[in-house]
Amino acid sequence: MKKKNNSNNKILLIEDEEIMLDLLQRKLAQEGYDISVARNGEEGLDMMKEFIPDLVLLDIIMPKKGGYEVMEEMSRDESLNKIPIIIISNSGQPVEIDRAQKLGAKDWLVKTDFNPQEVIAKVRKQLPL
Amino acid sequence: MLLCNGNLKMIEEKVSKKIVSRETLKKELQGVKEDLNDLEGYMRDLSLFLPLAVCTINPAGIIVNINKAFERMTGYQTLEIVGEPLEGIFFEKELLKKTIISIGQEERAHLREVALTTKKEEKIPVALSIAARKDDKGSLIGCFVALTDISSEKKLREGLEKEVEDRTGELQNSRRALMNILEDVEESRKRAEEERNKTLAIIKNFSDGLIVLDFEKKVSLANPQAEKFFNIASKDVVGKNIFDLTGVPTLVNLIDILKKEDKVFRRELVLDKNLTIEVSASSMILGSIALGTLIILHDITREKTIEAMKTEFVSLSAHQLRTPLAAIKWSLQMFLEGDMGEINEGQKDLIGKAYQSNERMIALINDLLDVTRIEEGKYLFKPTLSDFGSVINFVVNSHKEEAKRKNIKVVFKKPGDKFPKILIDVEKMRLVIQNLLENAIKYTLPGGQISISLKDYKKEILFEISDTGVGIPKDQQGRIFSKFFRGSNVIRMETEGSGLGVFLSKNIIDAHGGKIWFESEEKKGTAFYFTIPVKKEFEEFLKEF
Repeated sequence: MKKKNNSNNKILLIEDEEIMLDLLQRKLAQEGYDISVARNGEEGLDMMKEFIPDLVLLDIIMPKKGGYEVMEEMSRDESLNKIPIIIISNSGQPVEIDRAQKLGAKDWLVKTDFNPQEVIAKVRKQLPL
Repeated sequence: MLLCNGNLKMIEEKVSKKIVSRETLKKELQGVKEDLNDLEGYMRDLSLFLPLAVCTINPAGIIVNINKAFERMTGYQTLEIVGEPLEGIFFEKELLKKTIISIGQEERAHLREVALTTKKEEKIPVALSIAARKDDKGSLIGCFVALTDISSEKKLREGLEKEVEDRTGELQNSRRALMNILEDVEESRKRAEEERNKTLAIIKNFSDGLIVLDFEKKVSLANPQAEKFFNIASKDVVGKNIFDLTGVPTLVNLIDILKKEDKVFRRELVLDKNLTIEVSASSMILGSIALGTLIILHDITREKTIEAMKTEFVSLSAHQLRTPLAAIKWSLQMFLEGDMGEINEGQKDLIGKAYQSNERMIALINDLLDVTRIEEGKYLFKPTLSDFGSVINFVVNSHKEEAKRKNIKVVFKKPGDKFPKILIDVEKMRLVIQNLLENAIKYTLPGGQISISLKDYKKEILFEISDTGVGIPKDQQGRIFSKFFRGSNVIRMETEGSGLGVFLSKNIIDAHGGKIWFESEEKKGTAFYFTIPVKKEFEEFLKEF
């Protein structure tokens, strides 16, 4: 499959579930995005000290630091609080979505309700060419 | 000569005197004889006239004479009986003999009752009196015997005795009955007291709290458990109107519940974070008299804890299941979309089927999560003023293909613009329509029809969906809104289905302040109805929470 040219856009994928990480990484790579992965929130925040991603795909329930903590820290950091965040979670209760929106999340995807193609569509919406 | 003459004269005088005396004697004798005859006649007449049976006997007890009354009583003629021993006509022969013998000394004897045997062999009870007859020298020359028929007297006496006996018996029976009644009353009193004590002991030791209100809503009883629940002392509340006890902070919520409705059934009341009770109140009615209200307070803290743990467990499990299901879904999707390289038709078909199975699993998990959220009280919904017809249209359109595949006609005529908009959570309400429509499609045989309609009843709107499907067995209709319920007939025709759709729908309708019900007949079809209050009514409904 031909790789699309989205390499200018760096995406940080923070997800503890190996298979989801693998699938998303594959799918996003196919779309030509520059992907970096972190397996927990703490690792993700550390990586953001090294580089500023254009978009963060963030899981909520993770070891060490969860998605909300990552968002809270990002919102306090001027260099990070403008980065669009898309939540990919197993849950999707209105109260959770509200909380995430208040912390700066642009979108919320429930993993079982979406497929990878739809995730790409959401990413594209945040990172138009 | 003179002497001779004188003597002769004397003799003549003497003879003359003697002749005179003899004549006199003769006359006297004649007089006596006449007197005796008169006396005898008198005696005979008297004897004839006398109603008393009398006979005379000689000292040996042989009957010498009898009167007419004696003849009448015994039936013997004088000639038949005179010369016979007196005891011969009595049953108590020895007693008679002894009595006659005793007369030599006693002169009189009386037998109160002896049995006379008549000529006709009949026995007559008689009283017998004997009086001795003695000559001038005091020697016994015989006896008078008088007999009195006492049969009437005896009968009367016996009747009286019988009556007395009967009356005595009756009195004894009455007394016995009275005593029995008294004993029963005493027994009942004891039993009632025992029952009362037992009831009081039960009430006192009952694990549920009990509060009894009289017909004026005054507290007449609060058992120790109720005292404990509300941290009150019985003496402080008994005799006071429950609605006047708003000064007792722990009772405020209970009073609020009782104010709203007369009859309360299993309303939960959180008294403390570690104490939840269930309140039920019902009227106590004896015959047609209202005695008051019984309030039962059941501690459900443990059940609530277990329920919360169970819900949490299901929620957690469901969440945990979502991750692998999402991974499977995404993997299969990527295969199907060719992200993992080209696949042939056979592979595509198989992966497609695996994908669909996984989707069903996801739907089931989503239903389970919805149920746990309802139970956790986290089933939030956001009402917006919406056109309900469009919501229904959306769901109907998304199921058109499925219905067509099964050759089932779905009819829905969208109401006009004047139909009122209502405050609903669109997403949740779609779920309700979807659940009901999917059930109708699933359980209607090819060629059948499903009709959906909406009606405006000013204060509420009525939704109806009816099908010509298999119906719900009558004996199972009471469980239709229970979790995991599936009709026995539909399990046979469609193995898939969580039995959660109708349960969820009911909860969603309840949360909108509406009501849901159904009518169903096996092999003919089912109609589900629900109402949703219009905006104003819904806002009133929300105020109650």
